[in-house]
Amino acid sequence: MAYKHFEIIEKNVGLLGILIAIMVSLGGLAEITPLFIEAHAIKAPSGVKPYDPLRLAGRDIYVREGCYLCHSQMIRALRFETERYGHYSTADESVYDRPFLWGSKRIGPDLARVGGKYSDDWQRMHLMNPRQVVPPSNMPGFPWLADKKLDAAEIQASMRTLRRLGDLYSDADIAGAPAAVNGKTEMDALITYLQGLGIKNEPTKTTSAEASDGGQP
Amino acid sequence: MSTGWSLWVMFLVVFNLGITLFLFLWGPWVKIPTLPDGTSGHIWAHGALREGVRRLPRWWLLMSASMFIAGFTYLALFPGFGNFKGLLGWTSHGELARNVASNNVAFAEEMKRFELYPVEQLAGDPAAQQMGKELFGDDCAACHGRTAKGNQKLGAPDLTDADWLYGGDGKSITASIHDGRAGVMPPWASLGEDNVKNLAQYVLSLSGSPYDAAKAAAGKPLFVTCAACHGPDGKGNQALGAPNLTDHIWLHGGSVADIEATIGGGRQGHMPAWSRRLSDDQIHVLAAYVYHLSHRDDATP
Repeated sequence: MAYKHFEIIEKNVGLLGILIAIMVSLGGLAEITPLFIEAHAIKAPSGVKPYDPLRLAGRDIYVREGCYLCHSQMIRALRFETERYGHYSTADESVYDRPFLWGSKRIGPDLARVGGKYSDDWQRMHLMNPRQVVPPSNMPGFPWLADKKLDAAEIQASMRTLRRLGDLYSDADIAGAPAAVNGKTEMDALITYLQGLGIKNEPTKTTSAEASDGGQP
Repeated sequence: MSTGWSLWVMFLVVFNLGITLFLFLWGPWVKIPTLPDGTSGHIWAHGALREGVRRLPRWWLLMSASMFIAGFTYLALFPGFGNFKGLLGWTSHGELARNVASNNVAFAEEMKRFELYPVEQLAGDPAAQQMGKELFGDDCAACHGRTAKGNQKLGAPDLTDADWLYGGDGKSITASIHDGRAGVMPPWASLGEDNVKNLAQYVLSLSGSPYDAAKAAAGKPLFVTCAACHGPDGKGNQALGAPNLTDHIWLHGGSVADIEATIGGGRQGHMPAWSRRLSDDQIHVLAAYVYHLSHRDDATP
């Protein structure tokens, strides 16, 4: 190569642009593509099942109300997080989360393993008005959830959609949804969802190191 | 990562570093055709702007060189070059395990000392109190409050008084934390609204609160039902977690309306079990802290 080759690049802005685009995309191609492709191969561990209808409805409410804007669901592999919240989160715990709700804003505590930490009554009072149980809390109340009944048809529709994406819902599961959510309010659904978070899928010590490190490079 | 993807990442790293390193090493030496006036001959704005030819400044060369050194060092020491684990064998999970282990070592001696004492004795230990306070703030304060005064709206008991639903000795407190408690007061609305009101007045009379004598007298025979759990004299039963009704301490509120609601609608108390979240050592320290809360005036052992 000689100077004239550089001169070609310098004098052709289109060629310069293409070559720059190639160079800056290298990092993304190396970091994103392997994990993106391999993420589809991650299997659910034995404790992780597709959401039952009531929890699925609760999850949709969690998304709708924007809980993820203040609460993460991803315990990082840092001592001060694992001591407070439990085992760090792994990729295979989220295979049925579409979309995943890992979040990145940590204004409130992490909720990845909040299930069972408080009683249902506590969750209800806290969601109605957080100041009733935690005086300095800055979380907004969600009292309207207690007045709204769930729509079974909507839950069945989302179960059918998730089945197309590969979640193992049987026809009986979908047919049973109206009975499962009959008479339940959005508040009930959200509490059931929260009380199930991380409760059955905490990785055991033997498998966490290799099997479920989520494709760490 | 599969071998194929590992090779893909290696290829991209070599490709990227190869091109940039080549340009860095060769760029400064490339021969640039220079006109006698020291410019490259590239002109803009009809010759008003001309491109000079200069060597790259030394500071720039040194900065770039140090970047390459840092990059190669990183790829040698840490994971990043495909499946190559790095010479240090570093992983985020390994670092976490080391941090947890060193933290455990830091506390091991103290924890061993704590284990020697029963809860009642440990409660007087300032180090245990400090540790217990942290655990309490993280795990218990949500229901019992930061000052441990409880929350009547939730039915979370005050832990600073001498009144205990399930017993206030070290063993009982440890059991309450370890396994949780489920308190159940059944609803008695089936007795009829008047009877519930009469019973509420009788319950008020037990603790010497102001009450309506006529209604209380009418409610007294009905208390037989309540006596099964609360005892014939209303002093409660710690084996069942049935509260003492003769003191002025109310789990769900002591107003007439509160007591009527409690009798008519029943109450459910739920203390979660902490054995899954806390280690036995932590529960031991926490029990000592809770014991200390109601024995603050005692001399330290």
